[in-house]
Amino acid sequence: MRRFEMILPGSVKECVQALQQHGAAAKLVAGGTDLLPQLKNHLLKPGVVVDLSGVAPLRQLTADKTGLRIGAAVTARELERDPRLQGPQYRGLAESGALVGSVQVRHLATVGGNICNAAPSADMIPPLLALEAVAVIAGPRGERRVPLRDVITGVRKTVLAPDELLLELAVPDPGPHSGGAYLRHTPRRELDIAVVGVGSQVTLANGVCTKARIALAAVAPTPVHATAAERALEGQALTPQKIEEAATLAVEAARPISDQRGSAEFRRHLVRVLTRRTLTTALARANGAQA
Amino acid sequence: MNARKQAMTLTLNDEPVDVLVRPYETLLDTLRETLGLTGPKEGCGTGDCGACTVHLDGKAVASCLVLALQARNRTVRTIEGLSADGILHPLQDAFVRLGVPQCGFCIPGVLMAAAALLAETPKPTEDEIRYGIAGNLCRCTGYTKMITAIAEAAQAVPQGASR
Amino acid sequence: MSSTMKTTRDVRGVGLSIPRPDGPEKVTGRVQYVADITPRGLLHAKLLRSPHAHAKIIKIDTSKAKALPGVRAVLTAGDIPELKHKAPTRAHAVLAIDRVVFAGQPVAAVAADEPAIAEEALDLIEVQYEVLPASIDPLKAMLPGAPGVAELGTKADTSEALAHSAVAMAKSTEAADAKAVNVSQTAHVKRGDVAKGFAESDLVLEHTYKIPMVHQGYLEPHAVLAEWDRSGNLTLWASTQGSFNTRSEVADVLGIEENRIKVIPVECGGGFGGKIRALCEPITALLARATSRPVRYVMTRREELEAGMPAPQVIIRLKTGVKRDGTLMALEADTILDSGAFSGTVLAVSAVFLGSLYRWPAFDIKGSEVLTHKPSVAAYRAPVAPHTIFAIDSHMEHLARELGLDPVEFRRRHLSKPGEPMVNNQPWASNGAHEVLAQIPQHRLWKERAQWKAGSGKNGHGLRGTGFALGGWLGGLQPTGATVKLNPDGTLAVLTGQVDIAGTNIALAQIAASAYGVDIEKVKITTGDTDVAPVTGLSAGSKTIYTVGVAVMQAAQTARAQTLDIASKELEASVQDLEIVDGKVVVKGTDKGVTLASIGKKGNLYMSKVEPVLAASHPAFSQQAPAFCAELARIEVDPDTGELKLHEFVVIQDVGKAINPLAVEGQMQGGSVQSLGIALTEGLLYDDSGRLTNPSLLDYRKLTAADLPDIETIIVEVPSPAGPFGARGVGEPPIVPAPAALANAIHDATGVRLTEVPLTPERIALAIAAKR
Repeated sequence: MRRFEMILPGSVKECVQALQQHGAAAKLVAGGTDLLPQLKNHLLKPGVVVDLSGVAPLRQLTADKTGLRIGAAVTARELERDPRLQGPQYRGLAESGALVGSVQVRHLATVGGNICNAAPSADMIPPLLALEAVAVIAGPRGERRVPLRDVITGVRKTVLAPDELLLELAVPDPGPHSGGAYLRHTPRRELDIAVVGVGSQVTLANGVCTKARIALAAVAPTPVHATAAERALEGQALTPQKIEEAATLAVEAARPISDQRGSAEFRRHLVRVLTRRTLTTALARANGAQA
Repeated sequence: MNARKQAMTLTLNDEPVDVLVRPYETLLDTLRETLGLTGPKEGCGTGDCGACTVHLDGKAVASCLVLALQARNRTVRTIEGLSADGILHPLQDAFVRLGVPQCGFCIPGVLMAAAALLAETPKPTEDEIRYGIAGNLCRCTGYTKMITAIAEAAQAVPQGASR
Repeated sequence: MSSTMKTTRDVRGVGLSIPRPDGPEKVTGRVQYVADITPRGLLHAKLLRSPHAHAKIIKIDTSKAKALPGVRAVLTAGDIPELKHKAPTRAHAVLAIDRVVFAGQPVAAVAADEPAIAEEALDLIEVQYEVLPASIDPLKAMLPGAPGVAELGTKADTSEALAHSAVAMAKSTEAADAKAVNVSQTAHVKRGDVAKGFAESDLVLEHTYKIPMVHQGYLEPHAVLAEWDRSGNLTLWASTQGSFNTRSEVADVLGIEENRIKVIPVECGGGFGGKIRALCEPITALLARATSRPVRYVMTRREELEAGMPAPQVIIRLKTGVKRDGTLMALEADTILDSGAFSGTVLAVSAVFLGSLYRWPAFDIKGSEVLTHKPSVAAYRAPVAPHTIFAIDSHMEHLARELGLDPVEFRRRHLSKPGEPMVNNQPWASNGAHEVLAQIPQHRLWKERAQWKAGSGKNGHGLRGTGFALGGWLGGLQPTGATVKLNPDGTLAVLTGQVDIAGTNIALAQIAASAYGVDIEKVKITTGDTDVAPVTGLSAGSKTIYTVGVAVMQAAQTARAQTLDIASKELEASVQDLEIVDGKVVVKGTDKGVTLASIGKKGNLYMSKVEPVLAASHPAFSQQAPAFCAELARIEVDPDTGELKLHEFVVIQDVGKAINPLAVEGQMQGGSVQSLGIALTEGLLYDDSGRLTNPSLLDYRKLTAADLPDIETIIVEVPSPAGPFGARGVGEPPIVPAPAALANAIHDATGVRLTEVPLTPERIALAIAAKR
């Protein structure tokens, strides 16, 4: 790593002030699981690093009838283990946290870091998108709320200005009879990165799907919403045929490249398989199964 | 740029320590270069091998990914603090008796990951053990004897042990 | 002296499962590796490496780097007059002079007060390159007109081959053909008439098998600490598999005498062949000399992957002809080894396993070593054997299935026996290949394979299958030496120069105990540095116990003879009537005796006329001891994602005599998991410009504990004629069979025959989909 200064704010306000002062020369660090490898690989050479570990509100996770509020510095391990996320509605989010890296990485990696680093393969993003999360962002001009689907604009690019900080994710309660699931394909069981990731959320009423959300990771520069697949399911009973139809439409929404982790052909193949499987599981969970 | 050393306090292996750290130094660097510990190792520097595993506030973390200043006022335990009063922890004892270590480079990290596992899951299944140390790469042993040793040690660790 | 002597009566020695004595140091983190040694005044080294696979260096400007506070030295090739203009080996290419031949090649070196300052200094070095076309793919590199890697006439480096194959066959020759500008070695063996053999065959099967470059994957990156004294003597603390080899190479590169260099082998965090050659030592020594300070260089993991010394990429085109009744008729093979930018592969071993593991009446086997603009290779645990067995064993399995023959019986029927000729017409040495193979049909996994497979696709299960493969290693040889002395208290001290990586020291101590006649607790074994130890070869080639074990055994036997001789004079008995029991030399059948301690004391006493007991041995060896290994896998494949679950895995290995069964199991388990890595997940992937696309452990995938089941081990013992107590080398055989075993299991489960490793989910899934 090159040399840099560190600033250790004790509050959101101090943090924003530090970002204001240093602008693009500063990088934020929470878990460091994306930042430090980039520093060590010389992809980033900031003069200043602002540490979020002393800003306690960022680590809160609250749940009530309106939904969840997940602080940006909540770790993947906390998402994996929190009892409030083990029910059918939020289970996909817990599953995504459980897949990040290894235990030693999950205790550090944060949901905010996963979002702001905006790697196409980020695991915690598809379930949050499927849950229609809203990002709460703080800056010198106050707070603003941006739907998560509008936050990520490109590879490692978000709508956050250099003087802004992601505070939390607000996740609306999807209601009873809603189930979520997240699956990804990796060559190894742990310590790996998604070749393709799919997060699905389905909500039912009277046996019919009232809402379906399907988000894909690692098949485009930004997360992909399989909108046509979603529409094909809404208002329908989710039979295996319908699910297969949605899986096919999800493949069409994907725009994968071939790289050393996988070919485009394989990625499309996986989109079909993982969409089918996450929808099937999400449906079972929406129907009350605790699978 | 003011990248000069800053003072910080942490609790290391049950003792309070004052140390000067560079802002761009990792916790691993501080433990090794400044505090002279040899247990935690750098195998990759990017959180992909587990050789640097220590406990930060009781949780197994990759210390190569933690900036030193992020450990201020927190509790750190390394392999040097796994045994107490000169008596090997049941994990260490099992590893020795079952002939687990070969080159030895991964061992401190594996033991710290295993200790954290047993603190959270006192009677782990084989699967839980394998996933508990899945963040620790070993090239010499093939892991089999480690799993056996951890399972054996799990019988000997008292319930509610903090390490 | 007989080397298959029986253990002396009642001592704790050979055959016991004893944990390594350094266990407590390792589990408490107290063992020191090079990166843990921090002398006063230490400086940190970093190297600037070429981003281009092939380029001319036009200009290097280091002035800004030198001016950075905290930087103590910046070196380029211009500062090192000793460098030979045409580097004959990778170690000699300390810093590129006017041309770089692989991405990652060192171009400049910095020593600074802190690693961060050294890194910033690298940023300040300005290098002007003229990028040249590069030869990356080995097949393209062989075509006339391909960009040349070595200048014509550079000698092929066959030292690696010689280190591994005393089998004097198919001697690799330098390629004389001027058109084949990147072919640095060729080999060719023939027997009989293959054209006729194919013509008479009922079934001709041809496949091309491909294995990418893989990294040895040791957890501890290369590390070295260098310091000079004021008289011009260099000390190197090195993570190395061979301190004497390091000393020789560094002496040659720097142009100084070997006596001026002391190499201290520090605890080595894994080598597996990647640390048998000098790599970082010369440049670190040069920085230490330029600064008059101790300098430490530790490679980053990225540097290891980008610029280490991996195993070669191998492509084997294999064509065989057989009769319907399973008679083997003819075999034709073309093996291409991609050596990277410097020559150094082992061609000969491949030919032996291709052409004479099974009895082919006619064969025509060609091998070529090709140079490319990629990092040059070194050895990796049984060099080229996993690749070769992947080809021949997959092929034999496929033939058996096509012919409807039992796969075990088909191999057994054709498997060469000791005494039968290898490809060079030398006879196969005594070995346990048949005994190992015979274990397969006895194993539950093999017996239950039909039931296992019958569960495919039911109850949510995937496609289930079972597969095995048989492979081995010829065994290495190297002359060596050892000393054994009796301490004044009756304990023994053994000295070798053998770096203890595989836990061989405890086994050597057991050998000394059994050969001398004391319990293992009375034996201390020391690995000396190059100043104090007898010259010793590499801890590699599965030859440590086989050679150093004999040296220790002979020295212990000589020490025993000296001891008995001294005792016989004192006890006035003949040597034949004496034995050593419980630390005493006693006259058999009496209680007349003298303690070892008293003999030891007398040999050290002022004015004593009794000689000290001090024995040295210095054997050389001519007979290799091949060791065979079979691996058996039970798998389940998710047909949609291609994900493979390894349910159970067995390693069956002939070790001759298990000196320390606990240690032997560890070698079998560790080696087989490396084999599984080659089979399932590993590969260094280069783009067309020669840059590594997966330079991290995230994307260079080694198997984790969660990817594996327990590895079951079955030890077979077919004693070797010349090994200590019949032992054979154990390190290498287990890395050989898994790629073929897994390919065979996948074939059994899914019907697809994959001939390229790693056998990734992508390859499996797309092959299954294509088959549908």
